[in-house]
Amino acid sequence: MRDAIRLALVVAAKDARAELRSKTALLSATVFGALVLVIFNFARDPTALSATDLAPSALWVTFAFAAMIAMNRAFTVEREHGALDGLLLAPVPRGALFAGKLLANLAFVGIVEAVALPLFILFFNLDLSRVFWGIVGTAILATVGFVAVGTVFGAMTVRTRFAELLLPVLLLPFMVPPLVGAVQVTSRLLADRPLSEMLGWLRILAAYDVVFVTVAALVFSSVVDE
Amino acid sequence: MTAPAPASVVSPPTLDRARVVMRRGTIISSIALVGLVVVYVLALGFTPIEAHQGLAQKIFYVHVPAAWSALLGFSLVGIVSVLYLWLHDPRLDRFAASSAEVGLVFAAVMLTTGPIWAKPIWGTWWTWDARLTLTLFLFFLFVGYLSLRAAVHDRHERARFSAVVGIMGMILVPFVHLSVYLFRTLHPQPIVLKPSAPSLPWEMLRTLLISTLVFTVLYVGLVTLRYGIALAADAMEARDAA
Amino acid sequence: MPPEPPINGGYMIAAYIVAAVILLGYFGSLVLKTGKR
Repeated sequence: MRDAIRLALVVAAKDARAELRSKTALLSATVFGALVLVIFNFARDPTALSATDLAPSALWVTFAFAAMIAMNRAFTVEREHGALDGLLLAPVPRGALFAGKLLANLAFVGIVEAVALPLFILFFNLDLSRVFWGIVGTAILATVGFVAVGTVFGAMTVRTRFAELLLPVLLLPFMVPPLVGAVQVTSRLLADRPLSEMLGWLRILAAYDVVFVTVAALVFSSVVDE
Repeated sequence: MTAPAPASVVSPPTLDRARVVMRRGTIISSIALVGLVVVYVLALGFTPIEAHQGLAQKIFYVHVPAAWSALLGFSLVGIVSVLYLWLHDPRLDRFAASSAEVGLVFAAVMLTTGPIWAKPIWGTWWTWDARLTLTLFLFFLFVGYLSLRAAVHDRHERARFSAVVGIMGMILVPFVHLSVYLFRTLHPQPIVLKPSAPSLPWEMLRTLLISTLVFTVLYVGLVTLRYGIALAADAMEARDAA
Repeated sequence: MPPEPPINGGYMIAAYIVAAVILLGYFGSLVLKTGKR
């Protein structure tokens, strides 16, 4: 078990190092985030639509697309460096392999979200003093779910011709429940609503994570093995 | 990680067998299409007009059975996907692909007739209610599934990948349902008119049931025909490889 | 005297035609493919 964990971390670190060297995903995702911010801000009428009404949607649109870019990139990196093929030849437990890939992807997406969030606080003039950790927690909860699915789908699409197009097409339906939940919780947090109003959505987010991380881990071997 | 089924267990596809299946599928579909004409005549000419909703309500007799067929197609893809990962039988994969394509067609019917129905009845082309939202999801899942199949060329890989997507799609549906339900209980939308009367008069129920039967037979016929075409393609590939 | 039902037959016709076109079109495309085998 401890070996499996160590293995997962090795896999994760390998991917992370490869990406950090090129930084492409990080850059494109950050630029995208900034672009969304600018557009959303200039497109709204500040008297009609307050920042707190618009912010959750804008934030999660950014997170969603940035996550897609990051995951795409993660698998392109892996394909270019052939890391996965080498690992598969060794008798590596597939669960550990999945965990490693998941961690690497979460790290990529996490970095992008961590960069986008301060930008949002700045541009939307949000006061997150009371709810900062709530937002972070929600972000983690929602992200884990669709990144788990994205890790499996990414492994499938990486060798196809139109991988950058195919991954979003496959992943889109699976991103909706976590995104809807995240936006609902985030908007309630920003509006200072009591926890009781968010519990339903939080439960859906948690259930989604548990179910899809488990299923993804189970089917991962069917994807990478003959 | 079970080994694929040994070749001796599943007989290789032959063009003759494929032609038999295609012919069968064509016949069943043709019968169903004649049935569809009957349903059209029945619905348009021999079923009472709903007083509050007018003629547009009759779209119901096409939209609902199409929904049933689409859902049937989708569920079978999910179930067969699980079976494939367990048994690795290529026939299961062929069936799943056929069911997905036919399901997509019925989903397209839903997605077009739904808004055409909604506009006169609810005043808007689209609402994010459970039915329409799930229809849209089903459509996207089918499209994703079929796109993936088109992009993966190795048959074994394609079958495995499709099965994974099929299973995950099946698991996704309850979450979509939950989200829509939670959203609507917190944001009650004014319901202008219920799309179907609380208790259907007998003639309407009769038409609906006959239509559902016809759509089911149509599903079976189209899947059989599609399966036959897939079988023929595999047979030709096997012959060329030999 | 009960109220007259709304005039919306156009929608009904449109929907019925669209459904028929999709189903017949798909069936036709499949039949064409069988012809090639």
